[in-house]
Amino acid sequence: MALSAAARRELDRILGPRGVVDGAVASLAYESDGLALIRGTPEIVLLPRDTAQCAAALGVLAAEGVPVVGRGAGTGLSGGATPVSGGALVGMARMRDVLELNLQDRFARVQAGMVNVDLTNLCAKHGLFYAPDPSSQQACTIGGNVGENSGGPHCFKYGATTRHVLGLVIVTADGQVLDLSQPRLEPDGYDLVGLFVGSEGTFGLATEITVRLTRKPAAVETLLAVFGDLDGACDATSDLIAERLEPSAIEILDRLTIEAVEQSVFRAGYPRGAGAVLLVEVEGSETEVATTVRDVTRIARARGALEVRSARGESERKKLWAGRKGAFGAMGRIAPDLYVADVCVPRTRLKELVLAATRIAAEKRLKLSNVFHAGDGNLHPNISYDRRNPDEVERVLAAGREIMELCVAAGGSLTGEHGVGLEKREEMCLVYGDDDLAVMRRVREAWDPARRMNPGKLLPVRGCREARGASLPRRAAPDHAPQAHGGSGR
Amino acid sequence: MSFNDESLVDYARTLDCIHCGLCLRTCPTYQLTGNESSSPRGRIALMRAVAEQRLDARDPAYGEELDFCLVCRHCESVCPAGVRFGEMMEHARASRARVSPKAAPLRFVRWLAFGHALRSRLLLSAAHGALSFAQRSGILGRLAPSLGARGAGLASLPEVPRSRDRELLPPCTAAQGERRGDVALLEGCVMPELFGRVNRATASVLSKLGYDVRTTREAVCCGALHAHNGDLAGARELARTLIAAFEKQAAGSSEPLPIVVNSAGCGAHMKELGRLLEDDPSWSGRAAAFAARVVDFSEFVAARLPDAARARFADPDAPYRVAYDDPCHLCHGQQIRREPRAILDGIEGLRRVEMPNSEGCCGSAGIYSLLRPEDSLAVLAPKLAEFQATGAEILVTANPGCHLQWQAGLSRAGSRAQVLHLAEVVDRALPAP
Ligand SMILES: Cc1cc2nc3c(=O)[nH]c(=O)nc-3n(C[C@H](O)[C@H](O)[C@H](O)COP(=O)(O)OP(=O)(O)OC[C@H]3O[C@@H](n4cnc5c(N)ncnc54)[C@H](O)[C@@H]3O)c2cc1C
Ligand code: SF4
Ligand code: SF4
Repeated sequence: MALSAAARRELDRILGPRGVVDGAVASLAYESDGLALIRGTPEIVLLPRDTAQCAAALGVLAAEGVPVVGRGAGTGLSGGATPVSGGALVGMARMRDVLELNLQDRFARVQAGMVNVDLTNLCAKHGLFYAPDPSSQQACTIGGNVGENSGGPHCFKYGATTRHVLGLVIVTADGQVLDLSQPRLEPDGYDLVGLFVGSEGTFGLATEITVRLTRKPAAVETLLAVFGDLDGACDATSDLIAERLEPSAIEILDRLTIEAVEQSVFRAGYPRGAGAVLLVEVEGSETEVATTVRDVTRIARARGALEVRSARGESERKKLWAGRKGAFGAMGRIAPDLYVADVCVPRTRLKELVLAATRIAAEKRLKLSNVFHAGDGNLHPNISYDRRNPDEVERVLAAGREIMELCVAAGGSLTGEHGVGLEKREEMCLVYGDDDLAVMRRVREAWDPARRMNPGKLLPVRGCREARGASLPRRAAPDHAPQAHGGSGR
Repeated sequence: MSFNDESLVDYARTLDCIHCGLCLRTCPTYQLTGNESSSPRGRIALMRAVAEQRLDARDPAYGEELDFCLVCRHCESVCPAGVRFGEMMEHARASRARVSPKAAPLRFVRWLAFGHALRSRLLLSAAHGALSFAQRSGILGRLAPSLGARGAGLASLPEVPRSRDRELLPPCTAAQGERRGDVALLEGCVMPELFGRVNRATASVLSKLGYDVRTTREAVCCGALHAHNGDLAGARELARTLIAAFEKQAAGSSEPLPIVVNSAGCGAHMKELGRLLEDDPSWSGRAAAFAARVVDFSEFVAARLPDAARARFADPDAPYRVAYDDPCHLCHGQQIRREPRAILDGIEGLRRVEMPNSEGCCGSAGIYSLLRPEDSLAVLAPKLAEFQATGAEILVTANPGCHLQWQAGLSRAGSRAQVLHLAEVVDRALPAP
């Protein structure tokens, strides 16, 4: 779908210097997102600076009938921002201004390309922060977080992105601007903002986002519990949940992950040789924190923790978290590529399902490591591989699918937080039937009748019957699904 | 694993990158453009595509992305997978230079700088003499506009000091007070010409700390600029000369003599010479031994300062406000961040303030500021604003390129703030024993 020369000139005029990029070099640099297994070749990359430029550019693309893929930082792990061959990629990286910071009512209005951590840094000096903290927060954008309804370790307490988005300005497929930034607190009528969050760029592009800012808690403790094996850490998590304790984050890292992190620039001081560590953060008033810390320590010891200690001060706390957040990247030391699976399971069955994933990987001769949001039951079995080995790639994909099927059958969900994208669109049939999907398609077409926004993502391209035969397992009982908070972070 | 000069881009190294994107935000060229092909992850993807023969290394857009990179190595400091980006870029540039000779004007600048001037003390001072004459005579000011953007870069160069300021150090500066040992000092190529005063301050500090400071005239340039710009053969040749010179100088000392370096870019390169000469069996061992001797001025001094008399820069009741700007090749290249700050904090009469992005590149990047003045200034602009917002009166750096860049930027912005090398600050504060 080639752009006409006139349209190309018009885009140049709208977007100004360095605003339109094309050619072999651009298409190679943008060929995939964080899921490097799947690639596409964009026809053109557009880098608007504001809503008006974005709307004008989308108008031109609409007239030409060109598909549009939105892109934040391209850290997504399900292929959501993978370009559609022949389509346009609209990057938000030049849209990172703060438009409004209201400390009294505690909200900020920012451009969609603002990097998550910059938002938190911006309000830190006022005793506020932006709660959703994906492990990729050093790079990912607020717009991308909205696209995926991303979570993060602390979303165990605070909830995923959707709970923090108060308003949006959206540019629709035909280049119209839809302002949903007023009123800020409760929508009258349909909650279109809520609907948009998690739509993975298939409804339109968010250009301005109003987010809730959260007040920093009075006291924080970060506990590191060291276990001889992964089982103990999983059991302790199940107990914490069963006892209804309310830490703000519960994360687990296994032996391989600890090794990789300790060799990287994010060396955190996790004990090398430990079978697993449980990282728990507790926030609240001084007394709340003290009580919860005591309970967490008791439970961890009862489940065989070899050591439970608190971070000494802010800098050690930061290091413990930086290590956790650098964990995926650190796995790059083990093999050239990493497949990050992302599933949610009932938290009473953590141990059993982690074990099953380990068994599946072993059967397929694959190297598996685990680092995950235990508190949310959000597993990330990570498989290290080399994409130049086609046989290994096949085995990785097969293992990923088996793990997913197993978790869904156990009452879990397809994705914890990374979205469906290209990677899991066919697996949507594991949880939904053709009738459910038909309703979703109609919702999507209400936003984008021509289906030009991020085509081929999120929804299966074929009917389920056709894709899988009639024997697909359906999810056992939807209410077993993990958590009231919705998907949360990695 | 080592790079192989013959391979277009070492394939194996590009595989360290798992495409996570965590390096995007800190990259100055991505900050400037928002374009992923100007990001570390994007550049690695391009190198990989060249290696996989999916991209022609002669593609001018590929060359542009390689040239646009400042080799600040900020990406290395944030990369969890341990990608050695600086080294990859040197090899990518070297391999590209073989298949696609540079555009003529750049080639000339490089020829002048690398082929000749930097290798010979005589030519170097002649070149600076000419520049100095051009500046004092006003020719440069008249010439600069006709050179376009590049002229702007030349016109904003600081004044070259008059010739007596450009004198080299004596072969040995004797220890003052109680003698603690010997050190070697690298005078460098650009340093004596533009910053003779920094070298003198360095030697003076070391001598006040009780060291005999020895220099050698047999080595001129360490070759860092050559390597960064892809002239690896030239860099290796200079490295051998350098190593031999310092070996000769140390002959007779019982312990390996520390080599103190006051230029972050040279120090980072010299600490990595083991890798540069890894494939050369007769030199690899010597290079590794040499590299192990290299210490940055701040590392050496921070460990020894407390023993000395109390250092005082000014009246503690009327302190100067100072900001320290991490040179990229000190913080990202050598992971040195604490020592310079500790030194400044230990001096009376200074009140140190932090700049929010002190680890971000100032845009100097070796000869980058001459080759791409507009981009260089655009990279500096946000840092300049941040420095001014701190209200500091002194900016402290530890690298000659950064020193020039800040001087040019501040004077252009009409600021009266001074730029000083850490050694100058310490020298002024430290009393003679
Ligand atoms: C190391 C690492 C750690 C990670 N940790 C976590 C984690 O803890 N929790 C988690 O949830 N995820 C995590 N992720 C996944 C990823 O970072 C998140 O999905 C993130 O929100 C993506 O943001 P982005 O800016 O990179 O968006 P992209 O990847 O560029 O895009 C993501 C999706 O959103 C759409 N989109 C982008 N911008 C807009 C916009 N302005 N309007 C509408 N749609 C848009 C895109 O089309 C795409 O479908 C991690 C990824 C990595 C590499
Ligand atoms: S941070 Fe490292 S591994 Fe991740 S994309 Fe950048 S260079 Fe690659
Ligand atoms: S060296 Fe600096 S400019 Fe080059 S890619 Fe890395 S961060 Fe960007």
